[in-house]
Amino acid sequence: MSKKAIVSLLVLSMVAVACATDTAEEEVAVEEEHDHSDESTLEMVLERGFVKCGVSGSATAFSETGADGSITGFDADYCYAVAAALFGDYSKVEFKSLTSAERFTSLAAGDIDVLIRNTTWTQSRDTELGNDFGPTTYFDGQQLMGRNSDGISSSSTLADIDGLSVCTNAGTTTEKNITEGAGLVGATITLVTVEKFSEAMDKFIAGECDIVTTDGSALVGRRAVNDALNDWSIFPQSPISKEPLGPVYRSNDSMWGDVINWVVYATIIADEYGVTSANVDSVDTDAFPELGRLFGANDGELQTVMGLSADAFYNVIKQVGNYDEIYSRNLNPVGLFREGGANDRWTNGGLIYAPPAR
Amino acid sequence: MIRDSKFFIENPYGRWVRDNLFSSSSSAFLTFFAGFMVIYSYRGIVGFILNPERMWTSVTYNMKLYMILAYPDEAMIRVWLSVGLALILGGLSIGFYNSGKTISLGGIFQKLFTISAVIAILIALAPTNTNVIQNDGSIEVVEIIPQDVRMLILVPSLVLTLAFFFLRNVKIKNLFNTAKVNLTYFGLIIASLYFIKIPTISLDSSGERIIPDPFLPIASTTYIPWTILYVGMLLFFFIGSLLKNRDIKIMARLIPISWFLCPLFIFSWIFKKPLVELNTVFSADIPSILVFGVIGFLIIRFSDNESVGVYRTPINIGFLVLSIVVFLLPLVFIFKATMVLLLLLLIVSPAIATTKEGKRQLFIVWVVSLFVLTFLIRGASSDTMLVTPTGSIFGGFSLTWLLAIFGTYASFPLGLALALGRTSTLPVIRIICTGIIEIVRSVPYITWLFFASVMLTVFLPAGVEFNLIIRVLILTAFFSGAYFAEYIRGGLQSIPKGQYEAANAIGMNPFQRIFLVIVPQALRTIIPTLVGSVITSFKDSSLVAIIGLFDILRIGTSVIPAQSQPVVFIGRNLEQLVFLSFFFWVFTFVFSRRSMKFEKRLGLGER
Repeated sequence: MSKKAIVSLLVLSMVAVACATDTAEEEVAVEEEHDHSDESTLEMVLERGFVKCGVSGSATAFSETGADGSITGFDADYCYAVAAALFGDYSKVEFKSLTSAERFTSLAAGDIDVLIRNTTWTQSRDTELGNDFGPTTYFDGQQLMGRNSDGISSSSTLADIDGLSVCTNAGTTTEKNITEGAGLVGATITLVTVEKFSEAMDKFIAGECDIVTTDGSALVGRRAVNDALNDWSIFPQSPISKEPLGPVYRSNDSMWGDVINWVVYATIIADEYGVTSANVDSVDTDAFPELGRLFGANDGELQTVMGLSADAFYNVIKQVGNYDEIYSRNLNPVGLFREGGANDRWTNGGLIYAPPAR
Repeated sequence: MIRDSKFFIENPYGRWVRDNLFSSSSSAFLTFFAGFMVIYSYRGIVGFILNPERMWTSVTYNMKLYMILAYPDEAMIRVWLSVGLALILGGLSIGFYNSGKTISLGGIFQKLFTISAVIAILIALAPTNTNVIQNDGSIEVVEIIPQDVRMLILVPSLVLTLAFFFLRNVKIKNLFNTAKVNLTYFGLIIASLYFIKIPTISLDSSGERIIPDPFLPIASTTYIPWTILYVGMLLFFFIGSLLKNRDIKIMARLIPISWFLCPLFIFSWIFKKPLVELNTVFSADIPSILVFGVIGFLIIRFSDNESVGVYRTPINIGFLVLSIVVFLLPLVFIFKATMVLLLLLLIVSPAIATTKEGKRQLFIVWVVSLFVLTFLIRGASSDTMLVTPTGSIFGGFSLTWLLAIFGTYASFPLGLALALGRTSTLPVIRIICTGIIEIVRSVPYITWLFFASVMLTVFLPAGVEFNLIIRVLILTAFFSGAYFAEYIRGGLQSIPKGQYEAANAIGMNPFQRIFLVIVPQALRTIIPTLVGSVITSFKDSSLVAIIGLFDILRIGTSVIPAQSQPVVFIGRNLEQLVFLSFFFWVFTFVFSRRSMKFEKRLGLGER
């Protein structure tokens, strides 16, 4: 074979490679179609067939990972509720377990559609970070826990911790709140900061600090488990900070935001009427027209305008439950109860309130 | 002086004690001090583990979570197949590489004597009480090892110690093959799964906890698969022995290759269950194999052709440019990967394809590797068919393995290339390689992990999106590759210049000189360092918890201490830390012991 023949054979084979790749480029083209930056999240999620929900995966009672890898909890149930409303099947959720550092980046980058990860609604998070917050599902607040044997009781105030050592996790608003709060009442405290709240708790149990502080819900949970002698008290009665927790989605996406908001409101309205997953099938929609409208009795016009099916909220209540069911299923076992607190119905003096479905 | 007494001079044990523990007054002090520290911490650890405050069920109940996170139950057979493949290969290699080393009955008794003596000493030294901290901060003393329990273990172990002490001098001619003895030990461990009971929790159908007994037997879903795998391992041990006796040479090459491919095959096909569409196989895979097969054939056919030799440099440069173009174009990954393989072929073919037989063999190797590479990449790049709540099938120990194995696999060739590049005489290549090594090494691993999780997406072109795990894998490959490169460079520099000259003198080309003379010698000298860095990357893999991947450490420190339903494990993080330290210790210990044996076989440290 001559030199020319060899070289031209090699060139030919290179051309062959280039031709073969034409078919391959189609694959890439299909992948690029998924890059919907202008499309509404609602359309994207409906097209995809499941919702990507950002949770913690290691937050007791809010979103915890079970021994079989399943994710349960108060926040996780709202993810299931969104899926039930969108697809009529609560299981169409893909969870993404996020650390608190990466949650907003993950939302902004489109890794998740909605963030329900015990996230406090603050002004800067709402405005600077490009997020919108849905209705608050749980009103939390920072509290302190001390020992009765140290003279602490549930009626103690911040002034009573003068001279005591306080354990908390570093670099969070928790740390800032307690320093500011103690400074205001003139109490001198020794602050012991650790990486995680569980470490702060270990130090508290080991007697290395007199007081431990974080969100009230976490303190109640730990007291229910670890306080065999009934020696621990949580104080002050009105928390030293406001921590309204709720779902978060990307800014300027009203269609999607409305879906999230009204899933939450539907669970609250159902609770107001006492409709649960058990009795939702026997609801008298003529006697309660609001429920009729909510569950799609009159062609479900209210839901179809939103881009959902008429029975979307019926599915939410049927498959996941109303607010009270979601609350008591997840939070009662760790000792958090609604009665008399901020998370009680507005008719009982709480803050859980929904606009009318009309 | 006591140390000059008859006991220390005449008794061999006494002399050992005097020479090693009490050779001078300062070493006697150190012996006592260290002994006190060891006993004190041992008693502390036992007190911690047996403390009634500990809830070890939080570890045993979550064992599956630790190992495979949310891997679907109905696909469990795939996990067992993965483990089974490794065990079967292990059995085959033990049988095939059986060195014929034997151990006498006395030797076995000697080992059993040591074990029972250690048990007796440990139980004798164990503390009776431990401190429990109450909620109000006060301390209560609790008995953890009652006297009768201590005696129940101490007396039999003392009796056994004495029995084995006399039996070890027994002169019986029977010799046992070490490999078979070790397999028997492993079988005994498997058999013990049928009898031992561990603290665990069982739930009834409504998720309520049943408390019949603090200790429950191991589930049949654990011991039955292990039994089957053990039988398979034994079977392949005998097949391996048979092959060895038949003197089948090809196995000596096939087994190392299988070991190399086994993890890749497991992760891309068995564990993953990829969704492979036939039309992509026909439109991408088969054309790729055909085209590259033909190009490879041409390269091999004309590699020693003198008339082509004139064009060698332009052809090489042409292929290099082509491969860079292929890499930049948005093509399927298979083309890009095969292009790298083709470049490798272009480099090695002038050295190997010098005879007709050499060409034939190289072509067979080329075609087989094309098929294997395409097969593995098709599996690895396809989506999985398995459905998990979190969308990722890797988590817990399977993720740790994935990171450790792929970290090592990818970083070794990368490190070798960087090291050779750094010692190259071409300034461009040298500067680039030195730059990569120095930049990568001078930034902490955690920073690189954040880079992978947050910034890598910004750097990649639009539309190219990698899974977080793949981003971390790429990064780990570069990070440990840079360290490997420096170790390998150290090895390269330890090779005397005479070796290069000798290789030149017998007419070797640069490729043969590097890969047949220099690199094998260089690698041999740095094996201990390489093993050390593999262990480091195994342990470092737990750092990925920081960027949100669920590795075994994150499960232990955050996930399990948050579980409140159906069983309350809130705040149980100390148990997990103890378990994880033991777990990591077992793996790294076994690994470093194996490498010590390997070093001994290579005769390292004897020069």
